[in-house]
This record gives sequence, C-alpha cells and structure tokens, in this order.
Amino acid sequence: MIPDPLSHLTRRQLFSSCGIGVGKIALASMLAADQSYASSTTGLHHVAKAKRVIFLFMAGAPSQLDLFDYKPKLVELEGQPIPPSVIAGQRYAFIQPDAAVLSPRFKFSRHGESGAEISEILPHTAAIADDLAIIRSVHTDQFNHAPAQLLVNTGSPIPGRPAIGSWLTYGIGSEANDLPGFVVLTSGGSLSGGAAMWSAGFLPGEHQGVPFRSEGDPILHVANPPGVSQQTQRQTLDLIQQLNQDRLSVVGDPEIATRIEAYEMAYRMQSRTPELMDYAGEDAATLEMYGAEPGKPSFANNCLMARRLAERGVRFIQVYQADWDHHSNVEGGLKKQCKLTDQACAALIKDLKRRGLLEDTLVIWGGEFGRTPMVEASAALGRSGGRDHHPQAFTMWMTGGGIRTGQTIGKTDELGFHPIESPVHVHDIQATILHQLGIDHERLTFNYAGRPFRLTDIHGNVIASVVDR
Amino acid sequence: MLLFAESSRPLRPLYRRPANFVCIALACIVGWLPACGAFAEGDPAVDYQREVRPILAGKCFTCHGPDDAAREADLRLDEATDAMHDRGGYQAIKPGDHRESEVWQRLVTDDADLRMPPADGHEPLSPAQIETLARWIDQGAKYETHWAFVPPSKPPVPTTPNAATPIDAFVNRAMIEAGLQPSPPADPYGIVRRIYLDLIGIPPTPEEADTFVADSSPLGYSRLVDSLIARPEYAERWARPWLDLARYADTNGYEKDRPRTIWPYRDWVLNAIASDMPFDQFTIRQLAGDMIPGGTDEDRIATGFHRNTMLNEEGGIDPQEYRFHAMVDRVGTTGTVWMGLTVGCAQCHTHKYDPITHTDYYAMFALLNAADEPEHEVADPEVAARREAITAEIRQREDRLIQEHLISASDAETRSDITTAFEEFVAATGAEARDWQVMVPASMESTMPTLTVQDDGSILASGDVTKREVYRLTFPPQQDGTPFTAIRLEALPDESLPAGGPGMAFYEGRRGDFFLSKLTIHIGDHASKLEKPSASYGKISIGSGSADAGNVIDGEGSTGWSTSGAEGEANRWVANFEKPFSPDSPWTVEMVFERHFAAALGRFRISLASGDEATAVAFDAATEAELVKWQGDPSLIDPSLIDALRRRFIHESDLMKEHRKAIASLRAKMPQPVRTLVMRERPTGNERVTHRYHRGEYLQPREEVAPAVPAVFAIGDGPTPTNRYQFAKWLVSDSNPMFARVTVDRAWRDLFGRGIVHTAGDYGTQSEPPSHQELLDYLATRFVSEGMSIKRLHREIVMSDAYRRSSHRRPEVLAVDPVNKLLAIGPRRRLEGERIRDAILSSSGLLAHRMGGPSVFPPQPTGVTARAYGNVKWNDSRGADRYRRSVYTYAKRTAPFAALGVFDGPTGETCLPRRDTSNSPLQALTLMNDAMFLEMAQAIADDVARQIDPHDQHATAAAIFRRLITRPPTQSEVTAIVDFHQSLDADDVSRWMLVARALMNLDEVITTP
Repeated sequence: MIPDPLSHLTRRQLFSSCGIGVGKIALASMLAADQSYASSTTGLHHVAKAKRVIFLFMAGAPSQLDLFDYKPKLVELEGQPIPPSVIAGQRYAFIQPDAAVLSPRFKFSRHGESGAEISEILPHTAAIADDLAIIRSVHTDQFNHAPAQLLVNTGSPIPGRPAIGSWLTYGIGSEANDLPGFVVLTSGGSLSGGAAMWSAGFLPGEHQGVPFRSEGDPILHVANPPGVSQQTQRQTLDLIQQLNQDRLSVVGDPEIATRIEAYEMAYRMQSRTPELMDYAGEDAATLEMYGAEPGKPSFANNCLMARRLAERGVRFIQVYQADWDHHSNVEGGLKKQCKLTDQACAALIKDLKRRGLLEDTLVIWGGEFGRTPMVEASAALGRSGGRDHHPQAFTMWMTGGGIRTGQTIGKTDELGFHPIESPVHVHDIQATILHQLGIDHERLTFNYAGRPFRLTDIHGNVIASVVDR
Repeated sequence: MLLFAESSRPLRPLYRRPANFVCIALACIVGWLPACGAFAEGDPAVDYQREVRPILAGKCFTCHGPDDAAREADLRLDEATDAMHDRGGYQAIKPGDHRESEVWQRLVTDDADLRMPPADGHEPLSPAQIETLARWIDQGAKYETHWAFVPPSKPPVPTTPNAATPIDAFVNRAMIEAGLQPSPPADPYGIVRRIYLDLIGIPPTPEEADTFVADSSPLGYSRLVDSLIARPEYAERWARPWLDLARYADTNGYEKDRPRTIWPYRDWVLNAIASDMPFDQFTIRQLAGDMIPGGTDEDRIATGFHRNTMLNEEGGIDPQEYRFHAMVDRVGTTGTVWMGLTVGCAQCHTHKYDPITHTDYYAMFALLNAADEPEHEVADPEVAARREAITAEIRQREDRLIQEHLISASDAETRSDITTAFEEFVAATGAEARDWQVMVPASMESTMPTLTVQDDGSILASGDVTKREVYRLTFPPQQDGTPFTAIRLEALPDESLPAGGPGMAFYEGRRGDFFLSKLTIHIGDHASKLEKPSASYGKISIGSGSADAGNVIDGEGSTGWSTSGAEGEANRWVANFEKPFSPDSPWTVEMVFERHFAAALGRFRISLASGDEATAVAFDAATEAELVKWQGDPSLIDPSLIDALRRRFIHESDLMKEHRKAIASLRAKMPQPVRTLVMRERPTGNERVTHRYHRGEYLQPREEVAPAVPAVFAIGDGPTPTNRYQFAKWLVSDSNPMFARVTVDRAWRDLFGRGIVHTAGDYGTQSEPPSHQELLDYLATRFVSEGMSIKRLHREIVMSDAYRRSSHRRPEVLAVDPVNKLLAIGPRRRLEGERIRDAILSSSGLLAHRMGGPSVFPPQPTGVTARAYGNVKWNDSRGADRYRRSVYTYAKRTAPFAALGVFDGPTGETCLPRRDTSNSPLQALTLMNDAMFLEMAQAIADDVARQIDPHDQHATAAAIFRRLITRPPTQSEVTAIVDFHQSLDADDVSRWMLVARALMNLDEVITTP
C-alpha cells in the first residue's frame, strides 16, 4: 500500500504552478479520499515505464524513402507515372498525382543484430539501430505542414488544442521545481505549426510549453535587467514577498499565497538558468560526440540541452529541427539535414544510455508526414528533383522509456505508398507516449465547450508491438 | 453509457429473480439503500433539473439520448414518453416504483454483462447517484424541460430585508437561506479602485480617489458610476471581452500568419460600445449588416465579426477545406455567443446531451453559408482627398509634359527627337491595332466558380474556387466572314474580385492574381494550333518562374501567364492561329489555371480578329477599337484618343524617362485605401449548397441541408429564419430563450469573476446549474424590456451591494461556500494582461489617450515574433503609439504580444467566452524584468520626483505606492519601502525606479481589490 500522500502534501504543493510538482489530475485523485494516490512514478492509470519525453521533431517532413523505407521497385519505375489505381482520389499539395517516380537517392544497407535497413546518409543512426524501434507504417490525415504538425503535436489539425507536453504537465506535473515542466527547443528555419504546437490550448495557462531562446537568455526575461544585481533582485523579491504576505494576512485570498510561491519559483528559475546554460561541466568528448559547440545555436546543442533538461526533471522536451521540406533537390537537402542531425540524435541516445537515463526517458524521432515516391518539379517555382508531401506513409522511431527496441515495425507496399502491415496513425503514437508515462489516453480528459476532450480525440491505440510488457 | 447491452437485441427484462434475492444482492453492493421498498413519502423532493438530469446526461445520454446514430437498444432516457413506454410488460422507467423499473435493475444487478453502464471504460454511478434516481422514480419520475430552453419570465422580486436593490433581494435571499451573512461594504479606496478598473480599465489617480473618499454625499458613488460609464475609456475596457468572443486578430493565423486589415471592425465595436448601441442592433449589424435594407457602410464594416476566422495561406492547401473550417468556427462561435450552447459538438454527430441534431447543426451552418467574403473599402475622406490631390497633380504634370514636348514642339522649328519618336509611336500603335470581334460563349463550364456573361461580352467568375480550375467555353459556329487569324484573351479588373482582380487568388499568391497554365482551342475534337503569342504584361507571384506569353501554349502545366502586380488593371494575351480559323461547328476554348494556390481568372473576354499577325497592344480594348477606326480614316481621330496616345507615350518612351520621374514618385506617395474584411450575401440564384458532413469531415459530404434554426427552437409563431439576416434577428428575439440570459451573465461574469452559470459559453444540459436562476431571469427580462442597453445593465450590477462588498476572505463563509457562489464576499480577481498593462501605464502617466485606428506595436523583445514563421520583425512603435491602451496592441496569432500572452491573453484562434487566470512564475519574470514595464517604473519615479522632493523618502514612497495601488500605504508598508530604498546599492534616481518596479509586482497592483 502506498503511504498516505496527503501527509506529505504541503500548501506549496497544492499551489504548485508552472507544471511543477504533481499534476492537477494527479492532485485531484490524491484529494479524493476514496481513491488511491497515483504519483508520476507509479503512473496515473497504470505503472509508468517512462518519466519524461524527448521528442525530436523533424519539421518539414523527412523523406522516408531515402532514409528508412527502401523501395527497389522505385528504381525500376523511375521516370514512369504511378499506376492510376494507386493514385486515384489522392490530394497533393503541389504536384499532380500522375507525376513520375523518383528512385531512392541513396544506398541502403542492414545494420545491427536487428538488421534494420537504413540509408547511407544516417551512419550514426545506423550505428545505434539495435536501440531503436523503427516504425515504417506511420500515417496521418493531413497533407500540409501546419495542420499536420499540429496534428502530431496536439492531436488536432486546427490550432487551439493542448500540446502533448501540456497534457503531461497537466496530468502528472513535473519533477523540476526550478525549471518549466515543458520546454521547447528550436533550430533551423521557420516552423509551420508555430506557437500553437506548444500551446496549452484550453488547459490552464501554466501548462504552456516554454520556448527556450537559442541566443541570449533561454527564457524570456529570466535575466535581471541591466544594472540590477542578483543582490538587488533578492532584496526586491524580499520586499515583494513581505508586502504580499502582509496583504495575505489582511485579505486572506489564497491566490496571494500562490503568487508568493510563483515569485519564489521565478527567482529559482533565475538562479538555476545560468547553471543550466553553463556547459563547462561537459567534457570535450561529450561535446564532440554531439558535435555541439557551446554558444553556437544548433540542433546538436539542443540535443545536449535536452539531456541536461532531462537530468533536471523536465517532463517534456520538444526539440524541433526545421528545414526538412525538400520540394526540390531532395538529395542535396537530405545530405545537409542529415549532417546537421544524425550525429546529435545518436549521441543523445548514447549519452542518455550511459547515464542510465534512457530507461525512463522516452525518445521519439519523426516528422509530420512522409514524401512522395513521385518527383516534384515546377517551372513556376523553380523546383526539380524534389518530393511532395505524402501523408499516406512515413517513418518514425522510438526508443527508451520501456520501448521494445531492436525491431522494425510495419511495412509499406512496393512503392512505399501505403502501409500494408501494422499501420500506425499519429494518434497511436500519442496514445503510446501517454501509455509509457502511465496514462490511459482515453482517460486523461478535460471538459471544455460542453464535452470532454483528450489528446487523441476519439482515436488512438497503444502500439502493442513497441510497448514492453 | 450503454444502458442496455447490444443494440441489435431488443430490450428484454432481466431474469426475474425473487425480489428478495435482488435486494440482498443489492444490499451487498450498495448497503445504504433502504431495504426493499419504495422510498418513504416524506423524502425530500428530488429536483429533476438539478439532481437527476445531470446524472442521466453524464452517464446515460451518450447511448440513450438525442443521438439517433449512437442510440442503443432503441431506448431514449432523455424523454419521458420513450423511457416510460410499455415494452411488453415492463418499462425502462416505471413512475412510482424504482424496483419495477428496468433502469434501476440494470444499475444494481450483479451480472456484469447486464450492468449499466457497461464496464468497458465507463465510470459507474455512485451509490448516491443510484439512490437519487430511485427516489426520483418513486416520486413519479417527472421530466422537466431544461431550464435554459424555457424562455425566461420575469420573476417577482423577493422581499428580502435590507436589500438595497432588486439584485440584492435575490442574492441576499439565497445567502440567508444558506445561513450566511454578507460582508460589509469595501472600504472607499477599495471600491473606487474596483469601479475604475471595472468600468474604464484603469485605476483612479490618487487625487480622483481622494475626491471620491472625501465626498460624503450618499449619491457620490452613483454619480461616479455615471461619469465613468460616460467616459471614452469605458469603450476601450469593454471592447476587449467582446473582441475575445469575436476572436479578433490582425493576422490570418495558421502557418504564414500574414497581416490582415480588419481594425475598422474593431473601431466599429469601440464606437458601438461607446454609444451604447442596443444589443439587438449590435448583433444584427455584426452578423448581417450587409443585408439590412438601406444599410450603411458602417453596417457592412460590422460584418467583420465573422471575418475574424483564420485563413490558411500555406502553399498546397485545399482552400475549400479551410473555408469549411472557418464555417465550423462561425457556427460554433454563433452558438456560444448568442445561444450559450456548445453547438460545435453536433459538427460530427447529434449532440449527446443537448437537443441539437447533426442535421440541425448543418442547417445553422447553411444559414451562415450563403455569403462571399470580400473586402470593403472604408470611406476615409482624408485618404480620398489626398488621392484626388495626387491624381490631379499627376494629371497636371502629364499635361505640362504633353504641352512642352508634344504640342508646343510640333511645328517645324521646335521639333525634337521626342516629337519624331511620338509620331513613330503613333504609327506603330496604329499598325498594331486589330479589329477584334468579341465572342460570346453559348455555354460555359468550370470546376467550381459560377461563370456569367456580362453586357460587354466579358465573363465574370464568382463564388468558390479550386487549386486546379478548368474553364471550358463553347462558342457557336463562325463561318459567315473571312477566316480568323488571331485570338485575344483580355484579363479584366472587376470590383467584386480580390484587390479588384483580374484573378480570384485570395490567399498565398497576391490577391487578385491569376495563373493561366494552358489555353487550347478545339473545333469538335480537332485542335486548332496557336503560335506567336504575346502579352501586354507578365509577372508571376511566389516563385522564380517566367510569365511569358508562350508559357500558355508550351504544353507544360507548371508554366503560365500571370499579371501579378497589375491588380485592378486590364491586360491582354494574344496568339495567332497556325492555320486560318473558320469554325463551321461549335468550338471550345479550354483554359487551365493551376498553381499551388487557387488562381483562376475572375473576369475575362475572348475576341477573334483577322489580318496580319496580331500582338498584344499596350492599350485597352476600347482604345484599340478607336485606333482601328482611325486607321481607316485619319480625319475621324477622336481627340480623346490623341490624348490617350500622348499619355501612354509619356509613360513608355525611353526619351521621357527623366521627365516622368516626378510622376513616378508622386504615384509612390498615393495612399492606399483601407480595405477591411466583410461579408456579402450572394445574389439569389447563386446560393452555396450546404451538406451534412458525415463525422464532421470535409471529405465526407452527404445529403443537402436547408437553412433553419435548430428544431428545438423552431417554436412559436412566425416563419423560421432561412437566411443570415433573419437568423440574426431571430437570435435577439423572444424566440431565442438564450441570448438575453447569456448576455447578462457575461456582464455578471466580467464584474464578479464568476457567472451565475459557471460554465461560460455552455448553458445546455451539461452546464452547471445557475447559482441564482431567478436573478438571471430577472436580469435577462429587464435587459430586454429596458431596451437592451449594456450600459444600463452594467450600472444596475455595480449599484448593487453585492458588487460593493469587501472582498476580504472570511473562513466561516468559505467553509459553507468555498467558491463564494453566493456572493457573501465581494469579488476579487486578477486583472487580465491588458488591464495590468493599462493600469500601470496609467499610473506611470505615460498612457496615451488617442482612440481607434490601426494597431500599434508596444515594445517587446525581438525574439518573440522572430520565432514565428518567416522570422517576423516587430518594430516598436515610437511616440504616443508606444503607450496606447492594450486593446490596440497588434494581435499576431502565432506570436501574441508576450506580456499579454503570459497573463492568459487570447491568441484569436477561437471564440473565448472566459479567460483563464493562471498564476505563474513567467508572469513574475515579465513584471520584474520586461523592459516595457521597467520603462513605466522609471516614468513613475521621474514623475513623482517632479512633484515631491525625493529626499522626503516617506512621502515619495507613499506617492509611488498610491499611484499603483490607490489606497494610502500603512505605516509599516512605508517603513518597509523606505528600508528597501536605503538598502539598495544604487544612485538615487535608480533607487526610486527600483522601488516603483518592486511595487508594480505586488499582488494588489494586478488584482481588483
């Protein structure tokens, strides 16, 4: 029997904010005397395998056909249109469905004991193949970036729903008391889905993802203003707290107590941030492994930061790398992107593993959809040798946090057009993420506009084959 | 819940165990039920609305409610008839006997297969809930209509002792019934701060507060309320919650989130609120101002309300899919704002709880679905006058150039190169002109738009448009003259098109753009080949490709002709037939418009000509026709033609380059008219068809649905609305039982922080029961009978004792009423971000008072918008615009102004009936460290230093305190502030700034007292 949690519950925890401490839902079940306490470690609905998530989101949609899903048939059909029976009724963003086939741009070979088939431009990922569960049969409903990115990040193609990270801090809180529970790191160009991808939607505002700025102070306004020393800041805070405390004793509004706690937490964030940003503790070998250069914003730096945030108890770390949208010259585009990301992704997994963090950190890699087996070319737009958006099938991988690795799941047809084995919808990915954190995706709900909402809408199934039993 | 297992199986009674057995089994499960037997007569009466309906709605209606499609076992529990229907010897609900009611047996049976709700993921009923149902059945199982669906009738005001106003009579009665005593009135400094912040959104100055406190007249408060309601700032304060509902923003949302112009709509709202426009008028104008007979420009601008929906400009989207989403938003928003119903739930299926069917939803959709979405030029005399002046000056300069170079210089002595060039130009132009014959098609087809022939033989497209648009025009045979040798396509402007046309592009590409990928001509099946194409102008938007005339006939779909940048102007594309064209049977012209955005031509005309090789000339068709006549007989030259030639020459000839520079710079100075987004109802005969969409999915349209209000409301006399205007009028009529309640409750919520119905935006059967239903109906009926004045409503509420009470918490009250539903304690709420910023701006003396106009850019760190798509720059406003009220702050959907967003400000993505009030460390960081607030702190310190000797530390501390918090500080507060001041390691100026900065962070500053 779990000890009575209420005996440990302080007033401060009750007033916890910014996704700190136990989540609102967990708190509610703790306070309902007839229900047993579910902490973030025992899980909200069942035993959790993972405590935190790092989502390596490849925005723009990498070409699965050139990275993970090798289709020799495309070589054979190069330059010919796809059979009309396959393309009937499909909607595309830029091309007409009868565009010619474009063969895989790179060589593939098998890696690890699992024999995963991986492209030559992902050598580092290939080297950790046995640590991955590669899912080649992911599909989505959306064929344009913004809606598709929102669908992966929030479960809905229309802006305004809570992000996965928001659902998590709402449901189970965060273990960090000096950092936000949901942090967003970005690199590369613009993100189509924008801030709506880390919005708390209709959940309370404190569950919003906090975007770290890649230059200057990571959190907006976390640094003292010019000319204000840390001592002055502390003195200022002391005056604020003292006067607020006085007022609390007169007015008796518990919101004032919450505000006092929020200011203390703000101060802790201010104090903690320099240490978080200081990479002096990272040895040269680690920096080299990631390809990270302190002070120089990059995906590699963000991967290292993701590990540091994971160590500090942040619940959901969203790492975005933009620029995967290769409508033209998919070959050149992929070479560039893989050079920027492959090494750091693999380094993150290795680093988490050697620190014992991988077992309870769930890591996901993937974009919002796949790319067409057909070529994209357009004189008006000056494009050639590209691939258009392909929602019907794409590849993601997962590892850590209780995921069964060393396997490749799902299969697409010989054109890489549709999944023909174990199709996995993005809602299934979401259901699986929640599952690994001890949450039943059908039971984590929030009442809004007259009905209960959930991350997976009315869909989603946990992917049984990747969930360790 | 699935009350009766398996839908295919008819409802059958349970195996009838001996009654005793059931009871024993039950007693084991639910040991608290009275042993076998109906509940005693003396049990308290169960209230269906308050106690029973929420249980049934929450646990049963999903499968046994209004939704035909989801219904199990052919049983409805939301209506008495079906629930009590005799099903062959038994009833689901048998009034008076819960044990003989199948429902109850199914709730308590120990057979897991039969027990309801089914175990798979459904929450069971609690013992107390089962007991409530049993008592309700025993008391006769009386169903009542949900309170909100019954039109309000004015309740008598109760005679409650010591009630200052009718509101207090209702509030105090409930309070006394609960054994509570009201708090005393707030102290005068508290109430004056509260009423200022609530009515005008900024706090009183210390002087204004002192004047009020010193006024011992019993009418002092009432006078203050009247004066505040009359101030222009009242509109700036109260526009904000309405703009939250309207989901107002200055950008389009989604990926690119480009700017839009719709601030004239915001100005309309400000003016309507300032002038206290009656709410029915306020409603009708915003929903259907374009359809009001004799409607004004202002009425059309008001229709921006439903143009605040987002617009997806991502390359490659299906534009009709996002129009569908915008319509979904309009239906949902209309339901929330005027019906207090979450009609959005019925987008995918019949509402599980409220009586809105799937078809009802699309019938409402159809009411709003008949409009086009153009822009409306806002009449601005200032802009018009400037445009006129510049046009006149350009004309004058042209006249001078003509006079100087072409007229004065035309005789033998003064001739110049220019004169010669002009003569050559005239000759060449004359030779180029062809006698074009306009061809009028006998029939036309398009992928989506409606094509209609205009009087001048041109064809106008209207309505919706797709990304790949094919126009197929069929013409009658032409064989009575000489064979034709050339074809001309004119791309023509039209006011009805985006940016004046000629194209229909309204997103992603330039507005008014088109992109002609292919043009082919056939006689029957035989293709008539074209060659030697030319165009009067060509440029494409988005992309690096060419816009050459030849692209149209090169057989390559991704190239084409476009006249981007020449919106509002006519241009021409001409090609010659390889072989003379003499169609002896019907012939067709097929045009394909294909880009990654919708880019069809909106207005165009087809002509044919005979003669030598034709090219596209620089003149419009009318001038070209004149040129042709002139060719025939030079003596017939029309003076206006000469004038046109001269002006064209000035603008084309290389020799005039230097001379026309001044004209070019004048043109660049021409102010663009402001165009705001509006609705325009389509003409009869061109209606948009609305379908029901299976599962609410755009790709699954089903049967057509006619416009109507939901069947449950189609009661009473008079015809049911069939268009948007009638619908708007219906929404604010007695036929809609909801709007007045929802509207008065919104005012109540804005002033008390909590509505009489707590579930803002939802008054349906799932809503929390009203805390004071009679009060709600009293306010609603009075609102209507007193002319729907919002100002009067606000006044009535703030004049109540309930509003004026002290907000100090009293534990003995909260023990009984933890959320202060009964209002024994006065309202105390954190301000929203706008009022926080405005209040501090006002305290600092920086606030600029200019009302209305385009949005402004107060300072914020560059990184905030840089993260948005396209690395958007935020150029801080200079001067007064830096310090305007926050309602004018530029609202970028994907990167809301940081200091407002952090205090739960809206993104403008959806209708927001109630804001969250979170309390987070990021708010602390903003108030402590954001340079915008530091600037205000400095201003306070500087301003106070001008009035009070900074060496008088106590007086300075008190003055800063009062500017921010209104009330005089206590002695110990002054001491704490002075101690802080003295302990700082900084110079005097900075020290008082740091004091102001610290005090700005106090809870009292951002909270109504």
